Amino acid sequence: MELAIDRAFTATPDLTGLAERIAPVSLARERTLPVPPVLADLFPEGGLVRGRWLSCSGPSATSLALALVAPAIAAGGWLALIDLPTIGLDAASEYGVPLERIVRIDTAGPAAGTAVPPGDPHHRRWPEVVAAAADGFDVLIVRVPAHLPPAVLRKLSTRVQRRGAVVVVLGDPGSMACDVELDTVSATWTGVVGGAGHLAERRVTVGSSGRRMPGRCRRELLLPGP
Amino acid sequence: MERIVTVWCPDWSVTAAGFGPETPAAVMAANRVVSRTPAAAADGVVVGQRQRQAQRRCPDVVLVDHDPARDARRFEVVVRTIAEVAPRLDVVEPGWVHLPARGPSRYFGGDRALADVLAERIGATGYAPSIGIADGRFVSGIAARSARRRDRPLVVDPGGSPAFCSDLSIGWLQTLGEADAELVELFVRLGLRRLGDLAALPVEDVLGRFGRSGAHAHRLASGVDGRPSSSTDPAPERRLDEVLDDPLAQSSAVVFAAKQLADELAGALAAEGRVCTRLVVLLETEHGERSERSWYRAEGMSASAMVERVRWQLDAWMALPRGSDQEITGGISLVRLTPDELRADEGAQLGLWGGQTDADRRAARAIARLGALVPEEAVTVPMWNGGRLPGDRYRWIPASTVELDRQQRAVSPAATASGPNGPWPGCLPSPSPATVLVDPCPIEVVDDDGRSVSVSGRGMLSGTPSVLRMLTGDEMSGWCPGASRRITGWAGPWPIEERWWEPTRHRRQARFQMVTDDGCGYLVVAEHRRWWIGAVYD
Repeated sequence: MELAIDRAFTATPDLTGLAERIAPVSLARERTLPVPPVLADLFPEGGLVRGRWLSCSGPSATSLALALVAPAIAAGGWLALIDLPTIGLDAASEYGVPLERIVRIDTAGPAAGTAVPPGDPHHRRWPEVVAAAADGFDVLIVRVPAHLPPAVLRKLSTRVQRRGAVVVVLGDPGSMACDVELDTVSATWTGVVGGAGHLAERRVTVGSSGRRMPGRCRRELLLPGP
Repeated sequence: MERIVTVWCPDWSVTAAGFGPETPAAVMAANRVVSRTPAAAADGVVVGQRQRQAQRRCPDVVLVDHDPARDARRFEVVVRTIAEVAPRLDVVEPGWVHLPARGPSRYFGGDRALADVLAERIGATGYAPSIGIADGRFVSGIAARSARRRDRPLVVDPGGSPAFCSDLSIGWLQTLGEADAELVELFVRLGLRRLGDLAALPVEDVLGRFGRSGAHAHRLASGVDGRPSSSTDPAPERRLDEVLDDPLAQSSAVVFAAKQLADELAGALAAEGRVCTRLVVLLETEHGERSERSWYRAEGMSASAMVERVRWQLDAWMALPRGSDQEITGGISLVRLTPDELRADEGAQLGLWGGQTDADRRAARAIARLGALVPEEAVTVPMWNGGRLPGDRYRWIPASTVELDRQQRAVSPAATASGPNGPWPGCLPSPSPATVLVDPCPIEVVDDDGRSVSVSGRGMLSGTPSVLRMLTGDEMSGWCPGASRRITGWAGPWPIEERWWEPTRHRRQARFQMVTDDGCGYLVVAEHRRWWIGAVYD
C-alpha cells in the first residue's frame, strides 16, 4: 500500500507528460470549421483547421476573411476582432456573419487600473490579449503588429494551437509563419461606368500557399458570391 | 393572496415599430417572427415562423428588425400614464406591466372601476391595452391576455382563480414564460391538457416526477401564485447608491456607474444564495428630476440584466420630447439600485439542446477575462444604430453592459433593414464596404487636365474624375500630396442632406464610388469642397 502511494508521488512530475500522451488523438480533418463551398478546395483539409493560422492579403483581403469565417460563426462560433475598429459590419452581415456573436477588443490604451506603462504598451499587451481571446473564441481576426519578436509569436502560436482557435491575419503577417497564406492577387469590380451604375460584382483571383500547402493553387471567384 | 392588475399591450414590438393593426407587418429577430400585427396574423403569420414562411403566407408583409431599446423607449409613455393612476408598478418587459390592485382599486371604487380608468387613460395615448385583474401574477397575466378577445377588461373574482384556471390549456404555462416548452410538451403527452388536470394531481407526486419546475407549474395551475416572494423585506443596507460628484450627461458613463453598483449588488446577493427578482432603479439629475421605476423578472436578474434595465430606463428618459413636464435637463448625479424582492437562488437548468451553448459560455468567460487585461470599455459588441453612411449604421457598446447570453440581442442584420421598405432611404445598395474608416482619409480628385474636381450645389461635376491622390499631413501644416492612382471607373454623385434642422449636426455631402487601377473600390465623399475616403471595398 505504502509502496503504491510512494510510487504515485514519485510519478507526479510526469503527470503532465502522461496527460499529453493519453489526450484523445484527433485528426486535423475532424477539427475543421466549415468554409464556403467555393473556397473549400483552397484548403487541403477542405476547411479551417482549429489551431492554425492563416493570412489574407491583397486588395480584397478583408472581404475574403469575412467570407471565410462566416459559415463557422453562423454555425454557432464566436468571432473576436482584435484591434480592427474598421471592419464594416454591414459587409460582415452580407457575407453571413451573425453580428450578435462578434466581439471587438482594442488593445491600445492604458490597462485596467494601471497608469500608462513605459515603452510601447500596444505591442506588449497584444500577445496576451490574443492568447486570452483564443481561449474563448472560435475565430480571431487580427493584424500582427510590426516589430514583434519571432520568439513571442512562436509562443503565441503554440498556445493558440492548444486552444483550438483559428486565427486569421489580415495583411502582412510579419515574422509569423502562417499555415495557409491566401493572397487576393487581383480584383476586378464591375458595375460602375463613367458616372453611372454602382459597384455590383467583383471577380477575385485568390492564390494559396503556405507551409502546410502541398503546392500553390489559384482560384477565380466572385466576392460577394452569387 | 395579493390582487394584481396586469396591463398588457398585445404585440408591443410591432406597435412600437410604428405599425397600426391594419398594416400587415412583423418584427423579426434572428430570422424568426417575434411579433406581428393583427392584419398579418389574419393572413397566417405566426410568432416563431421563419422569414420566408411568413413572406409566403403574406407576400406584402412589412418586415422590420427587433429592437428592444426601441420597445422600451416607446413604452415609457404608457408606463408614465399608468404611474399617474398607481405609482407602484413593475415593468416585466416592454408591453407588460404588473401592479398591485389593492390601493388603487379601493380609491377608484372597485376592480372594475380601476380597470376602466386604466383602459381609458392608456387609450388616450393611442395604444390599446388589455387589462386583467386576478389573484397573483400568473392568473392576472392570463386574464389580461384573454381580455384581448373580449375587448374589455377581465376581472377574476377573489378566490376564483382555481375555477378560472381549471379549463384553460396547459400551454399558458409556456405562453407566460413560467415553464419551458419541453415540460409543457411532456405534460400534453401524458394527457394533462388542461391546467385543471395538472392541479388535480397530488403535489408530492408532481414534485417527485418533475422536480422543482414541475412543482412550480403545479402551484400555478392550482391558482396559487408562483414562487412566494421573500417574506421579509430586504435589509436596507442592500440599497446601493452611487452619488456622482461630477454629474454625467453621457448615458454610457451613467451605465458604467450602474455597472459597478450592479456587480456589487449581484455579488453580495449571490454570496447569500439569493437572487433579485424585483429591482427599483432610481435616477436623479443635478436639477432634482427623478425617474424611479421598478423592474420585475421572474427568473431573477444577473448583474448585466440589472445594467440593461438601467440603460432602458435612462434611454427612455432621455428620449422624452422637449418641453414635456418630466424632461431631463441636467446630468445624472445619483444612481440607486434597491432590490425590492428577493428569493432563494435555485439556479437555472441548462437546456440540452438550444438555449445557451458551450461556445456561448466560453465566450462569456473570455470576455470577462479580457476585461481584466484591457479596459472594460475596450471590449465591445456591435449594436444597430441606424444611418445612411456606413460609419453611422452601428455603434459599439461595452460588452460588460450587455446580457450576452440572451438569445435575441439588438443587433439587426442589415438584410432586412436595407430592404425596399427599410427605414433608411438613400443608403447605397449592397455590397457594402468591408472596411469603414474611423478617421476618413483626405484625398484629392483631379480630372484629365490636372484640375481639381468640384461638385456644385446641384450635384454637377466640374470635370471627369481621373486621378485619386492621397493627402498626408494635417489641417494646420497643410496637405502634402502622396501616392496617386488612376481612376478606372466611378459612379455618383449621390447627394445626401441630413439633419438640416439641427445646425450642429447638419451634414451635406455627395457620395461617389470609385475604382482605381489596382482593383480597389472606394466610397468617396465630397463635403465642403474637400474630398475624403470614407470606406474601402477591400
